[in-house]
Amino acid sequence: MNAGAENGATVARQPAPFAPPKSVRLKVEQASYAYSATDRSAPKFTLGPVSFEAQQRELVAILGPNASGKSTLLKLLAGMIKPLSGRVEVDGTEVSELELRTRAQQIALVSQESELLFPLRVWEYVLQGRYPYGKRLRFESDEDCLMAGNALAQVGADALRDRWMEQLSGGEKQRVILARALAQQPSLLLLDEPTQHLDIGGKVELLRRLRRLADENRYTVVVVTHELNLAAEFSDRIALLHKGKCLRIGEPAEVYQQDVLEEVFEAPLEVEMRSSGRPRVILRGSH
Amino acid sequence: MAGVRHMRPLTPKRILAICGLLATILFVAVVVSLRVGAYPISMRDIVITLFNGAIGRGDTSEFNQVIFGLRLPRIALGILVGASLSTSGAGFQALLRNPLADPYVLGVSSGAALGAMLSLIIAPHTVGAIQLAAFIGAAATIAAVYFLGRRGGQLDSATLLLAGIVAASFLSAIIIFLLTLVNGPGLRSMTFWLMGDLTAPPPTQNVLGWFGFLYFVFAVAAGAMYTTSSDLNLILTGEQEAGHLGVNVTRVKLVVYVAASVLTGLAVSVSGAIGYVGLLVPHVMRMLFGTDYRLLIPTSAIGGAIVIVLADTLGRTIVAPTELPVGAMTALAGAPVFIYLMRRRIR
Amino acid sequence: MPRSIREAFLLRGGSILAARGRRQRFFTIALTIACAAFAYGVRNAGAADVRPQQRATTPADPAAQTAANKRTVKLVTDETGRRMAIPLNVQRVVSLAPNLTETIYALGLDAKLVGDTTFCDIPPAAKDKPHVGSTQDPSLEAIVALHPDLVLATTSINRAQTADALLKIGVPVYTSDPHTVTGILNSISTMADLMDAREQGANLVAESQKRLDTLHAALQDRPLAHVLFVVWEDPLISIGQNTFIADALRWAGAESIIVASQNWPQVSMEEVVRLQPDYIVLTPDHLEAETHEHGDNLRQRPTWSDLRAVKLGHVVMGSDEFTRPAPGLVDAIEALAHALHPEVFPPQVENGKVKMEDGAHFYAATAAGESWRGCGTCAR
Repeated sequence: MNAGAENGATVARQPAPFAPPKSVRLKVEQASYAYSATDRSAPKFTLGPVSFEAQQRELVAILGPNASGKSTLLKLLAGMIKPLSGRVEVDGTEVSELELRTRAQQIALVSQESELLFPLRVWEYVLQGRYPYGKRLRFESDEDCLMAGNALAQVGADALRDRWMEQLSGGEKQRVILARALAQQPSLLLLDEPTQHLDIGGKVELLRRLRRLADENRYTVVVVTHELNLAAEFSDRIALLHKGKCLRIGEPAEVYQQDVLEEVFEAPLEVEMRSSGRPRVILRGSH
Repeated sequence: MAGVRHMRPLTPKRILAICGLLATILFVAVVVSLRVGAYPISMRDIVITLFNGAIGRGDTSEFNQVIFGLRLPRIALGILVGASLSTSGAGFQALLRNPLADPYVLGVSSGAALGAMLSLIIAPHTVGAIQLAAFIGAAATIAAVYFLGRRGGQLDSATLLLAGIVAASFLSAIIIFLLTLVNGPGLRSMTFWLMGDLTAPPPTQNVLGWFGFLYFVFAVAAGAMYTTSSDLNLILTGEQEAGHLGVNVTRVKLVVYVAASVLTGLAVSVSGAIGYVGLLVPHVMRMLFGTDYRLLIPTSAIGGAIVIVLADTLGRTIVAPTELPVGAMTALAGAPVFIYLMRRRIR
Repeated sequence: MPRSIREAFLLRGGSILAARGRRQRFFTIALTIACAAFAYGVRNAGAADVRPQQRATTPADPAAQTAANKRTVKLVTDETGRRMAIPLNVQRVVSLAPNLTETIYALGLDAKLVGDTTFCDIPPAAKDKPHVGSTQDPSLEAIVALHPDLVLATTSINRAQTADALLKIGVPVYTSDPHTVTGILNSISTMADLMDAREQGANLVAESQKRLDTLHAALQDRPLAHVLFVVWEDPLISIGQNTFIADALRWAGAESIIVASQNWPQVSMEEVVRLQPDYIVLTPDHLEAETHEHGDNLRQRPTWSDLRAVKLGHVVMGSDEFTRPAPGLVDAIEALAHALHPEVFPPQVENGKVKMEDGAHFYAATAAGESWRGCGTCAR
């Protein structure tokens, strides 16, 4: 579908305090991808073609049921895979053609937590985010430490600095992983289902933080998530995927139509509009 | 921001300081090893002989024979082998994301030994053939273990260890098969050499040149691995994550794989299979100095050298005049340390 | 699984240097113990440097003496093709194998023997000589410390590497390579030459050759006895065609039923049953005292007891000299020949007991059945 509103401002949202002219940061043009499952004769899975744009300070949520192509889309955005047709551009450059380290300076992907093999302190972990800058075999400079410190502050994890990674709770770890991504000083921040292992408090906190990062620090944030309501609450635009097709892209209120949602998620759903102008999705029949 | 104050990132200075400390310990170990031996030589005579040898003054005394012909080559070989095995072990642990990885456990040493044996059968007099064949054996084994150790396309710890054990057993069986069948007297010495033996004389007349060649190969391989140490730090937090940070994971893994195989092949080809060093030295160095590979690789190398020199010295002295093979010494000491490591737990 | 490995190897609190309390104390103690043990080991090594026997036999200025000897040398190629310079006047010899030690004693040159291995115990006097270690892994330094003019080794026991290493630092090592009895005698002759004992060597060899020739003449027309030569019972290991033992058997009028190119082939019992040897020749571990029981045991064992040779009592305990390339081999060959060919060499009976040759046992079944009689003198 088409790109959303140019300036993103709607009735319900306050415009950000300083609002310089927005520039298109992420541009997806008719990107498509297909693959067949390995070793088995499962049918091919096709994604796309998908087109949309995202600017600075935008938080775009990608939603859809399982196997709808969300992860594939994210991989395309991250440059991990090359689109079979179409283009994915960040700041004007085709993503999959970027050299690895240059790409890492522009795009940061926050995946779910991984197994650390050996003990590591938080600050060491976050410092690793500075890897894309400088030579391959490098020693961290003062500037690197500064950036890492900034990143920790941005996620509010400054106090965790000297702790061991294994000692962190789920939410804390999530923040630290995010800090490492921020230390890369990316233009585009991609997150793959970051709320999966968090409790509701953690989920809200994370989305709030992402919102703040987008608003204040000018990141472009793309989040793949299952959380219908949180996405509606915090994102500027939502892309709804279903069976490899991007059904809708637009503001939450536009995208959350009852019939569409029911068809996509195959569940009895109902959409309520709240006073803030943002929709809320509930189970039908539960008043 | 208060950032800089609390972070103490690794600096080259710190690396040099720690390596300097370890090098001093190595120096002491070398001095002890020079002093100890069945042939009585006082410290003073040792220094004199070394000095004469260093400035090139010809000296045909027996002291010269013993020191330059027997003890120094042994020590030099021990340093090389210890450094190679430890560095290779550190590399394998990162490559395979498994703290139990070690050239011996994974069967890579057996593969190198088999390669060396085959080259002894086929081309016993070609200089350097044993080294090349050992490298090929090591590389082939680690490739096989790597592919066998995958489950559903991903490296899996348990499967990997199983693959290593299987490879080690299989290769050992082939080696025993060869030993039983083939008759040459040279091959008979191999049973002994398979336990680790630092007394093998260089195959060439030019001893200095031979050691120069060996150390050169070591320097190249270890150096190549060192250039990927930053990358390895990242890979250890997750291969995919490292890729997103800009690490060319495939290339790094290839470099480490080749370098570690070269190092293992080098060590095994000159001294036989010595176990536990590649496993334990990196672990101890991690416990002492942290897991940063920019520091771990050099400390493992020097630490390994210290261990082998000490093990060899002990092996020469405990039940003199019989000499215990180095491999037996490292196993004797290595097993308890291994058990101790296994029992440490995080609360 | 990954979780448990991680838990096994991840450290709580990281660096040892930062640890305090119990862990630090443990490590300090462990390190101290290790240092103490090491120092003890090193000190012992230092003590081992100066063994009493060594002191007694160390000449005043060994280095100079050796150098003096080395001024008059001859170039020799040993039986493995290695070339070396051996002093003409050999005073100090180190032996790296029991059979070589035995040969030296047989030649009456034991005064020149300054060192041997821990396994050299024939004759018993050899045990008192300074030791340089095992045959497989002697201490090269200990050898050099004895300042030998000549080191003797053999391919049947020693590693090539030992000889190579010694040669590389200028110590001459003569390695013999025994494959035939005649070859062994030639070796003995050569070694006697090298050790400046040409006459003794010639005498010993001539006498041995004479005995062998006599034996050969006596057995000329006799068919060869088919023999299973047992090196080890469990697993069953026999000898290959290219060993000197096979050659020695031929001199004793026998032939090994096992035809193999390997030196020590492992043989299946089935093969033995199929081939049904005329005689079974056992070799005792010469440390074994009760060789009498050894033969008896065979009768109790299944499969063995079914062999024709065992039923007939044709089990011979060969001397352990049979497995050593030394002058005593000739004695052993004679004894075995006598045991295998009683028709040519009838056993003398004394007081109802079979008089035995030195070094061989003969178990004979009486006419009435299967009773075993042990025999008189065996081990020296």
